Amino acid sequence: MSETGAMRDHWYPVGMTKQLTEAGRDTLLMGEPIRVFRDGGQPQVSDGAGRALPVIDRFGHVWTSLGTPAKDLFTIPEADQPGRRLVDVGVCRVRCSPLRAVENFLDIAHFPFVHTDILGSEPHTEVERYEVEIRDDVDEVWATKVKFFQPQAAKSAEGGITTDYMYRVCAPTCSVLYKTCPPKPGEWDVIALFVQPLTETLCDVWPWMALYDDDAEMTDLIHFQQMIFVQDRSVLENQLPALLPLDPGMEIPTRADMTSIAYRRWLKRHGFTYGAQLVAA
Amino acid sequence: MTREEFTIEGALGTPLFLPWVERHAARLGLGMRLRDCTPGRLAVEFEGAPALLDAMEMGCLLGPIDAWVESIVRKRISVT
Amino acid sequence: MPTDWTPAALSDDIPAASAAPGQLGPHDLAIWRSASGRIAAWADRCPHRGMRLSHGYVRGERLSCIYHGWGYGEGGQCVRIPAHPELTPPEAIKVPVFRAVEASGVIWVAVEAPEAPPPEFPGFEAFRSLQVKAAPEALAGALGGSGLVVEAALGGATVVALIQPLRDGAVGLHLLAPEALGAAELDALSVAAEALRRRVEEGVTA
Repeated sequence: MSETGAMRDHWYPVGMTKQLTEAGRDTLLMGEPIRVFRDGGQPQVSDGAGRALPVIDRFGHVWTSLGTPAKDLFTIPEADQPGRRLVDVGVCRVRCSPLRAVENFLDIAHFPFVHTDILGSEPHTEVERYEVEIRDDVDEVWATKVKFFQPQAAKSAEGGITTDYMYRVCAPTCSVLYKTCPPKPGEWDVIALFVQPLTETLCDVWPWMALYDDDAEMTDLIHFQQMIFVQDRSVLENQLPALLPLDPGMEIPTRADMTSIAYRRWLKRHGFTYGAQLVAA
Repeated sequence: MTREEFTIEGALGTPLFLPWVERHAARLGLGMRLRDCTPGRLAVEFEGAPALLDAMEMGCLLGPIDAWVESIVRKRISVT
Repeated sequence: MPTDWTPAALSDDIPAASAAPGQLGPHDLAIWRSASGRIAAWADRCPHRGMRLSHGYVRGERLSCIYHGWGYGEGGQCVRIPAHPELTPPEAIKVPVFRAVEASGVIWVAVEAPEAPPPEFPGFEAFRSLQVKAAPEALAGALGGSGLVVEAALGGATVVALIQPLRDGAVGLHLLAPEALGAAELDALSVAAEALRRRVEEGVTA
């Protein structure tokens, strides 16, 4: 129990609200069995001993915590803007550290190689300098002024464009990205990655989107995002070591990995080490 | 080749920090010269390609687990 | 300490411009063949962020990591970091390399070059590799021999069985068949090899 450390007192997604039944769903949170169910219409979560855990129903997902969260779950103000379509993408199980799933989401340099001809393509591989900071007021990692050339940035994109990105890490296993919205210049599309840590080396990933896209079928939007994540999974399940190293002594991070480094620094600072490896090996 | 002085500050109070920096510099093929070393501050000169100096900064910002690097200030010394 | 050659794969199983995972004792290997046909066995881990290089792609004489496209050439030397196209990677950035040679259609690997070349088996040619959940001794015993190189009767033919100890209680069985065996005889050999595997694996659980 102690190895869940400081991450114990934070919120984690444990299911999609729409899919919740009275019979419920048995799952894991940081190695502990939990049950997510509906009772009197309200989402409920109980732990292995039947004890009720705190619940928040937000962004189409049910959130809970094994500990005592000191603050409310983060918000995504853009999600409330009128005209956005909110997309529950569903679940993707990945045999990797939940922290590695988040780190990969923060990475743009892999686009030409893992999402070839969709989110990136050779020879457009250069990662230009961008900015990263830890915003102390909200205690979040932010990467801004990120740019990347993309052949098909979104389901709605036709032809290649240089896409602007912003990334935000707002909880130990949650990240939100903002990217150029092709049908609505001046606005950002919002794509979030909510990761449920099942164990230190197994996670359920729940992508969620708030898009301006009036034309695409909902199933196409979902399939596009699922296809992207399945491509990521082939990488995530084959990184060594399985845990995310907080000492980069066996790696060679470069300036293109600046968001990854900031995320790992933030994890280290807070003692968020469930799914992390402390010593380089 | 670019030469820069890195001033690394934070809770570096571990005997493992300097060897860690030396090893990481070697993994990047950087030239290195130590200027000053205290438990809270390390001043080092590195020489190499600019992108590798950036990479050195990335590695050091995280560093070994028992050190906490608060900041790294880089000062260009020369470009050859 | 001199090491011996270990059979890690069959030459035909790693065609030009491809990579596959392998093992050598405690080491994970990326075994790959360049477009011109050169075989190599490297540590199966990209030094950048730890991705397995055996999932990578081969272009020309380079193996590149599938994650961020870092490219590695002869001797494991990093030659390209696509996120920083202007950078000439320093000599220090290298993937650890192992020794790899081919003989009798088999890819042999070692940590340090053994004094002698790997064995040749005149009159035999590489046929097929299987993975068997068994101890090396159990497999050798089932073939009617001992050690890691066994000449055995299997499926009506005389074969050379090369046994490669793997981790997690498994072994690689690399079979060499007599040259000029007909298709029907090779089919029979294949069936016999699979029956042998089942027999040995059941022996393990029994």
